Amino acid sequence: MIRIIGVHKWLGGRPVLRGVDLDVRERETLAIMGPSGTGKSVLLKHIVGLFDPDAGDILVDGISVPSADRAEMAAVRTKTAYVFQNSALFDSMTVRGNLLMGLPPGFCRGRADRCEELVRTALDHVNLEPEVLTLLPAELSGGMQRRVAIARAIIGKRRYVLYDEPTTGLDPVNATRINRLIARVSEEVDATSIVVTHDVESAFFLADRIALLSDGVVAAEGTPQELRETDNRAVRGFLDAAPTRGLE
Amino acid sequence: MKAPNFLAAPGRSARAAALHAGRAGLLGVATLRALAHPRRYALETVHHAKFIGLDSLPLVLLMGALSGAVMAQQTMYQLSQGLPREIVAGGVVGGMLTELGPVLTAVVLAGRVGAAIGAELGTMKVTNQIDALLTMGRDPVVELVVPRVVAGTLILVPLVMLANAMGIFSGYVTSVGILGLSTAEYVDGAKGYYHHGALIFSLVKAVAYGFAITFISSHVGLRASGGAAGVGRTATRAVVAIIVSIMVLDTVLGPVYKTLT
Repeated sequence: MIRIIGVHKWLGGRPVLRGVDLDVRERETLAIMGPSGTGKSVLLKHIVGLFDPDAGDILVDGISVPSADRAEMAAVRTKTAYVFQNSALFDSMTVRGNLLMGLPPGFCRGRADRCEELVRTALDHVNLEPEVLTLLPAELSGGMQRRVAIARAIIGKRRYVLYDEPTTGLDPVNATRINRLIARVSEEVDATSIVVTHDVESAFFLADRIALLSDGVVAAEGTPQELRETDNRAVRGFLDAAPTRGLE
Repeated sequence: MKAPNFLAAPGRSARAAALHAGRAGLLGVATLRALAHPRRYALETVHHAKFIGLDSLPLVLLMGALSGAVMAQQTMYQLSQGLPREIVAGGVVGGMLTELGPVLTAVVLAGRVGAAIGAELGTMKVTNQIDALLTMGRDPVVELVVPRVVAGTLILVPLVMLANAMGIFSGYVTSVGILGLSTAEYVDGAKGYYHHGALIFSLVKAVAYGFAITFISSHVGLRASGGAAGVGRTATRAVVAIIVSIMVLDTVLGPVYKTLT
């Protein structure tokens, strides 16, 4: 379980997070939704220790991330995988090299066959053919890069998969494809997923629960149905302004 | 009490320099710590040794050849009047081993390797690839910095030796072919000047420069920010910082030569 407790963060001299409290339950898909610039990605980066909070705490299976020592941090990072907004594939490595990086360091030493099998399985999960294994990221389309990034995140069978704006920058067809992929993969690998998005359609399509981040705090939290029916001003304002794409 | 305005800019620069030095110190400690696990970086080190060493070899040999030829000509034109002509070989051997071989090789590598490492790591930084490594539980120092620093530190030794050899050979060709020395005069002059201390001094400089080039470019690359323009600035900053540090090291290492002779 992931617990975010009263997290405050200042960046560039302004408050980005102003006391965020949020629990992520086992095996659920939680969407963190909100307008651009409200600190959704910043919050996500706190979970994997890329940012330290100015105040508050983040607990991953009981380990306090901000005060974790080297061993504890290693334990947190063996449980979490992060899909970056821009995919963040290693551009000097082939797709195979990128996927292998998703496995723990030293995992493949002496078990190349097992690793190759994991690579193929991960690739199969994201509907990519083995022919792409020898390609460099620059030789892939944006949608394919995003799928490789997801494959890299799930290959190590991590308990928590964190998606940072997984559909940003993609055309509507690819965005829909990625959303369906995330939904299917989350089920298949039995992971707890946190999806940060400003795309209302994606959030409602993917999530078991949605948290709306507004002005640095969680303005509302609930199931998609609960959020659809709420009178909360922040939710209504955000949902009414959002375009729709017809995902069901 | 508020500090006068004219102190603000130097104060900011001093603070930035102190921060940089502190971060470089931390990276240095992390790099030294990571050296204890050679299995984790050995393979990557070989890959970088090829890029830094083998791929730079033609340029290094060309620079060595040209500097040997220039050294022979200038020694002849400026120093040989009233002195034995063998001094030309002495000038070439001494100049190549103690200064031109190591310094010019390092300057060539600052432009070729330092800029490349700065830009590559800078790009990785601004495109979240470094963060991606961290989230996968991998240490960027072990994965990225150590292989480059080890490869650069080791590979500069043979590169400098080859540049020295090339310079001495081209000095010979210039002396005999253009300046009218005999082979015996050149060989006698070279033998008369040569001593092991100069060669060891050359090796010491090679190691120091190899470390400086790869370490500084890695440090600057990992601090990159600001998209494509930021990566461009990072590459420039890396080259400038390396060349300044080469000249500082050249000055600081001067007294070492005295202890070796």
